[in-house]
Amino acid sequence: MFAFIAKRARNAVLLLFLASVLCFALVVSAPGNVAILIAELRTPTATKADIAKVEEELGLNKPLLERYGFWLNGAIHGDFGISYKTGEAVGASLKSRLAVTATLVAGGAVVAFLLSLFVGFVGALWAHRAPDVVTRGSALLGASTPSFFVGALLVYAFSVTWHVFPTFGFAGPVSWVLPWLTLGFLPAAVLSRVVRVGFEEAMAKPYVLTAMSKGLSRTSILVRDAIPNIAPTYLNALGTQIGTMVVGAVVVEPLFAWQGIGDLFLTGVRFRDFMVVQACLLVFITFFIILNVVVDICITLTDPRLRLQRS
Amino acid sequence: MSSEPILRVKDLTIDLLTAHTVVRPVDGVVYELSRRETLAIVGESGSGKTVTCFAPLGLMPVGVQADISGSILFDSRQLVGSDNETLRSLRGKSIGFIFQDPMSALNPARRVGRQIAEVAELHLGMTARAAETRALELIKMVGMSDPEIRLKQYPHELSGGLRQRVMIAIAIAAEPTLLVADEPTTALDVTVQAQILRLLKEIQSRMNMAMILITHDMGVVAGAADRVMVMYAGRHAIPRKQDAIGSRFRGLPGVPPILGAPITGCAFMPRCGYAVDACGERRPPFLPTAVPGVSAACPVLNIRAKECA
Amino acid sequence: MQPVRPLLKAIGAFPRSAVFTICAFVLLGLLAPYIAPHDPNAQDLLVAGQGPTLAHPFGVDHLGRDTLSRLIVAARTSLVGVCLVLVCAHAIGIAIGTIAGYRRGWTDELLMRIVDVGQAIPSLIVSLAVIGIAGVSYWNMILALALAWWPGSARISRAVAVNTMNKPHMEALRVLGASPVRIYFVHLLPTTIGAVLVYATADAGAVALAIATLSFLGLGIQPPTPEWGQMLVDALPYLESDPRQVILPGLTLTLAVIGFNILGEAVALTEFRSR
Repeated sequence: MFAFIAKRARNAVLLLFLASVLCFALVVSAPGNVAILIAELRTPTATKADIAKVEEELGLNKPLLERYGFWLNGAIHGDFGISYKTGEAVGASLKSRLAVTATLVAGGAVVAFLLSLFVGFVGALWAHRAPDVVTRGSALLGASTPSFFVGALLVYAFSVTWHVFPTFGFAGPVSWVLPWLTLGFLPAAVLSRVVRVGFEEAMAKPYVLTAMSKGLSRTSILVRDAIPNIAPTYLNALGTQIGTMVVGAVVVEPLFAWQGIGDLFLTGVRFRDFMVVQACLLVFITFFIILNVVVDICITLTDPRLRLQRS
Repeated sequence: MSSEPILRVKDLTIDLLTAHTVVRPVDGVVYELSRRETLAIVGESGSGKTVTCFAPLGLMPVGVQADISGSILFDSRQLVGSDNETLRSLRGKSIGFIFQDPMSALNPARRVGRQIAEVAELHLGMTARAAETRALELIKMVGMSDPEIRLKQYPHELSGGLRQRVMIAIAIAAEPTLLVADEPTTALDVTVQAQILRLLKEIQSRMNMAMILITHDMGVVAGAADRVMVMYAGRHAIPRKQDAIGSRFRGLPGVPPILGAPITGCAFMPRCGYAVDACGERRPPFLPTAVPGVSAACPVLNIRAKECA
Repeated sequence: MQPVRPLLKAIGAFPRSAVFTICAFVLLGLLAPYIAPHDPNAQDLLVAGQGPTLAHPFGVDHLGRDTLSRLIVAARTSLVGVCLVLVCAHAIGIAIGTIAGYRRGWTDELLMRIVDVGQAIPSLIVSLAVIGIAGVSYWNMILALALAWWPGSARISRAVAVNTMNKPHMEALRVLGASPVRIYFVHLLPTTIGAVLVYATADAGAVALAIATLSFLGLGIQPPTPEWGQMLVDALPYLESDPRQVILPGLTLTLAVIGFNILGEAVALTEFRSR
């Protein structure tokens, strides 16, 4: 088991290295001279000397490999350079915005988790072989509805019509509810289908007949026999959906005027603020790589057959 | 040995209803079983052996509904028409079940210790800890080595024979009075089959259980059964005390009939080389044959008997 | 004709509702300028925010533009965008995939590792990063989405190409002395394009959604060109007074994407069955 984790971690580090090269290459290949942009940011009437000074300062006149090493070293220590647009340190912006995005994604994940388990469980308990249309439909809706549309509908219903939650802002738990629902709703639809189909498949297995022969009730068979068998599949899907939700943060944060990393990324993209785009991209990719490893380890822990195979 | 049967089955008829079809796998079956006795139900695949024992206790695959008529008295309780809760309280507690394929019958994602212990928890009202001790006891009883280690293992870490021993431990965990074993040795290695059969007999006599042994293996019947019921097309063809069936029972060519439409005459007729017109007219009753003491529902043998008399 | 046959075969197996939705979408897209009752960009501030009338059955937006016309023309915007993205993405993908599948060896290894990295990053993040570097414009949006979608196409193309190269008739061609150029362009490429065309339809829904999302974020289709995501974000400030202008484009978009996704699911299913 330990060897398996070590192997996955090594692969993750390798991927991270590739990702950093990619991020670096993206900015190096960007059209336009970065030094001119920065110099003009400082003084609109920048002269050649000013530009040369900026180049010297940021090490832009050094060979590529050295520049990469310089940048990577900074990135590892949380220094992602300076925003061309605002002149602020990108690392500091990232740090101050991390809590907002973490709140959003964690809340969305909880919503997706609870909602999908509830709907899937209720479906499995009461609706014997509910029409396939319903289960297929929920997954289809989850993959087809834009989250900004869901958000707009929620705002219209809960803020404009019923005045239950504020329209936007990041000010305490009440203001968190709508963004959480917006982010978690569609993943919940996809996941509830995973639960529903998983239960249906598990309940048709011979070991359920064994459990019935023991005199267990349907509910305890669902809980004791079906859930351990569904867990690996569900965790895998949940991991994918958490990834989707991090991407969704880019859409949901501006919708509710939250100052998170998604919003920072979007601002960077809008104003072609390369350093911000580069830093956010690296943060996102790092998150995806780590998420993948965590999901893999969770699956291995919940599936005894995989655990044996991989240890 | 008490002579009062703990199980009395009379005219048991079962229709299975799925979404698309109705079949009658069990048609007017009659048998009795006393404590410590073993009844072997023998028949080809698809002859209704399994359904006879499982459907009346509410053990049905998902999506299949059973329509049961006749009478089943278990411990002087009528099972036919009982509600699901009553049947559920009997399952595991008074009646233990063993299935054909121990690989698929055990839950692959749970430790075998838990799968045994939960029966004791449910039916003997034990705490989790006490049930764990009980599971250890049972594992020793079914003859597994390293019992402490086995408890913590998963089904895929055990061999077929060991898995079937776990299955037996589950079935007897609440000390039932009747054990239903559905082809308990079919999926196992030939060398292990005899061991498992011996274990079953041993546990049966130790716990004073009655046992129904469903099988298609005449060797198993000869070694273990007190009574034999041969089933064909949902009917009991030859109910007899165990004696010379092993040597006299001969197979027929062909395959068993599909049970979709009720069969009016003798169900063997399409495959029987000796069939006469009477075979197809109505269901032949059990009548004496030319051999003293042997009855059969076969017009050919019955007519010969009359001629001889 | 050869490359189109698998596509036609797959369409035959589609659920009718999806075929209907998509036909409606494509027809709207193709005929938009002729069936739109009004000029989608003609402003009439006197009627701004008005509810449905005979002249404007779906009402008008905050600038007095006819919503029905804008919804119809937006179908065209979306259809053209989706087609462009899919063509570009599959052009790159098929080229890379067939080269990897034809050459095998280290070329294959290298190209597929790049594809791995590309597939590991969510498509919206990739397209946002590309727009962040290249700047906001229509063609940059197409480029960004194509760059986000090619790895999937490359993977499928490679699988098809490898499969095709292993067929006995390809071996026969080589033995008969057909030149590599001939094998690649006359035999391998058309077969691959045909098979991948089917998969292209499966991606259409996701691409349509991505175009709308980018437009919603202000990074895709720019006003005044009507596009569903952009119409929605445009009307968002007036959600309280005129929710219809938010709900209508949202619903239309969802409907179109659902149609494409049913189609995609059917494609995946028929492919799965034919394997």
